[in-house]
Amino acid sequence: MPGGRRCPDCDSTELVEDSHYSQSQLVCSDCGCVITEGVLTTTFADEGHLREVTYSQSTGENEQVSRSQQRGLRRVRDLCRVLQLPSTFEDTAVAYYQQAYRHSGIRAARLQKKEVLVGCCVLITCRQHNWPLTMGTICTLIYADLDVFSGTYMQIVKLLGLDVPSLCLADLVKTYCSSFRLFQASPSVPAKYVEDKEKMLSRTLQLVELANETWLVTGRHPLPVITAATFLAWQSLQPSGRLTCSLARFCKLANVDLPYPATSRLQELLAVLLQMAEQLAWLQILKLNKRSVVKHIGDLLQHRHTLVRKAFRDGTAEMEACEREVQGQRQGEEEVGDSSLDLPVRKRPASPALLLPPCMLKPPKQLRPTPPVCTVTGDENISDSEIEQYLRTPEEVRDFQRAQAAGQAAKSLPNP
Amino acid sequence: MDADSDVALDILITNVVCVFRTRCHLNLRKIALEGANVIYKRDVGFLLTEERNIYTFIYTYSNGKIVWYMAERENSKRVGSRHLNCKIHYKGFQVIFTDFKVVNVLAVCNMPFEIRLPEFTKNNRPHASYEPELHPAVCYRIKSLRATLQIFSTGSITVTGPNVKAVATAVEQIYPFVFESRKEIL
Repeated sequence: MPGGRRCPDCDSTELVEDSHYSQSQLVCSDCGCVITEGVLTTTFADEGHLREVTYSQSTGENEQVSRSQQRGLRRVRDLCRVLQLPSTFEDTAVAYYQQAYRHSGIRAARLQKKEVLVGCCVLITCRQHNWPLTMGTICTLIYADLDVFSGTYMQIVKLLGLDVPSLCLADLVKTYCSSFRLFQASPSVPAKYVEDKEKMLSRTLQLVELANETWLVTGRHPLPVITAATFLAWQSLQPSGRLTCSLARFCKLANVDLPYPATSRLQELLAVLLQMAEQLAWLQILKLNKRSVVKHIGDLLQHRHTLVRKAFRDGTAEMEACEREVQGQRQGEEEVGDSSLDLPVRKRPASPALLLPPCMLKPPKQLRPTPPVCTVTGDENISDSEIEQYLRTPEEVRDFQRAQAAGQAAKSLPNP
Repeated sequence: MDADSDVALDILITNVVCVFRTRCHLNLRKIALEGANVIYKRDVGFLLTEERNIYTFIYTYSNGKIVWYMAERENSKRVGSRHLNCKIHYKGFQVIFTDFKVVNVLAVCNMPFEIRLPEFTKNNRPHASYEPELHPAVCYRIKSLRATLQIFSTGSITVTGPNVKAVATAVEQIYPFVFESRKEIL
C-alpha cells in the first residue's frame, strides 16, 4: 500500500499501482476507483522532463506479445502436434521460442528466419529429450532450406547458450526403420519381400554398429548409412529371393526416399564385409564377391569383433610396425653379411588392411606443383666466353646515363 | 604412444587476414578504372583486387581501410601491403601506411592418429559441437584464446585464431583431449 493512503470512496487501504496503456494509475483494488493518474507517455530515467519515448524503445514491446510472435508460438504448437510429440516437449519448445524472441536480432529478423526458428526450437527440444528427429525432416515440414536452417540453428544455440546433445544413432535406426512399409503384405509389396520387424531392426543395428567401428559413419550424414544397412539386413534375412532386388527398388517398395550417398555407403559396407569374410576359414574357399557375401552376413555379424580385429589394423600401429620391421631388416642384413648359404625365402602372409576413414584410403589430390628451387645466387664466376655479354657498349652507357638523368628530373617534379 | 611423450607436430599457416589504413580517402572508381584485376562493388562499397602471383584478395574501402586475405606468411603479408600501398600512391593518392594489424590466422595441423568424433564431443560437451548432418568436423571453441578449431576424424585440425601464438597455444591445449579420443582397435 503506497504512502498509507485510503480510497476516497470505500476507505479501503488496498491500493495498487497499475499501468494502464503505459499510463500509471493508483487504483483501489476493492472498488476500482482511480485515485491518481500518471503521465500518459512512458519515460525511463527522468520523468520530470516529460520526454516522449517511441514504442520500440518503451517497455511496452516486452510486455505485450506481438502478432508475429503469436503466430510463431502457434506454429510451434502445430509442429509438435504434427510430430506427435508429448505435451512437455511442446511447453519446452514454446519457452525456447519466447526466449529467442526476446533478443533484438531475432525480433527484427525476416519472416523466413522466424519460420525457421520454429523448427529450430522443436529440434533442440527433441534432441534434449533424446527424441530422434533429423534436420531433414524438420526442413521438409516447414519448407525451409537446409542452409538457412543450419545458420539459424547455430545462432540460436549460441544465443541461448544451450547444450544440445548429439543425435543418438540407435534411436534413429529404430525410428527410421519403423517407417519402412515392408512389415505387412500389401498390393505394392509381394509376400516374399515382407519381413519381420524385430529381426530386421536387430540386424540393421548390428550393421550400423559395424559401420561405426569401421569409420563409415563418423563425419557423415547418418541416414544414407542407415538406409544401406537396412537394405543389407533385409537382403541377408532371405537372400534367395531378394538378391536380385536393387537398392532403388527396395526404397520404392518401402515407400522411402533414396538418399544420394546411400549407394556409395552400400559399396563401402560390402567392402568391409568382404574383408571380414576373408578371415573366416569356411568362407575363404568360396571366393566371395559383393553379391554373394550378403548370404553370410549373419555369420560375419556373429563374430564381428574378432573379425574386425583380424581383418584390419590401426594406422598408428602400422607406422610403429613399419619402423620395427625396418630396424629388424637392418639387423638381419648385418648378421647375414657375406653368407653364401642360400636360404629359402619365406612367403609372408597377406597383411591386414588399414582401418582408416575412406577418404584417407583414396589417393590424395595432386597438390599445386611447387616452383623449382632456384640455386642461382648471383655470385657465380663468369666464364671468359660469356664475359662480353656483361660489358656495356659506349652507346649503351650513354643511353643509360640519359635514362638516369630523366628519372631524377621526374622525381624532382611536384606530385599532382 | 603416450600423451606426455614428445611429439613434433607441424602447424602449417595457410591463410592470414590483416588490416591496415592509408589515412586518406580513396576514390574507388578511379582506382578501379586505372587498376588491373579489380572488381568494383559499388552497391556494397568496396573494391576487390585479386593478386594472383601471391594468392591474395584485397578489399579496399573508400575510408582508407584495406583488408587483405590470404598469404602464406605474416612477413610477406606486410611486404605485400606496402607494395599495394605503393600501387595506390602511384595513382596519385597521398597514402601513409599505418595501423597494420594481423586480424586472423588460419593454420592446419595433422595429428598422427584418427579421432573418434562422437566420443570427443561427449567428453568435451560445452565447448565441442558436432552436427554430422551439417558438417563432418567437430567445432571446438576456446574462448580465452578466441580460437576456433575444426577437428576431423582423419586427425586433421584447422585452427583459426587472432595470431600465430594463439593458434600454437590452441593446438597445445587440444592435443591431450584428442589423444584421449584417438581410434584404437580393441
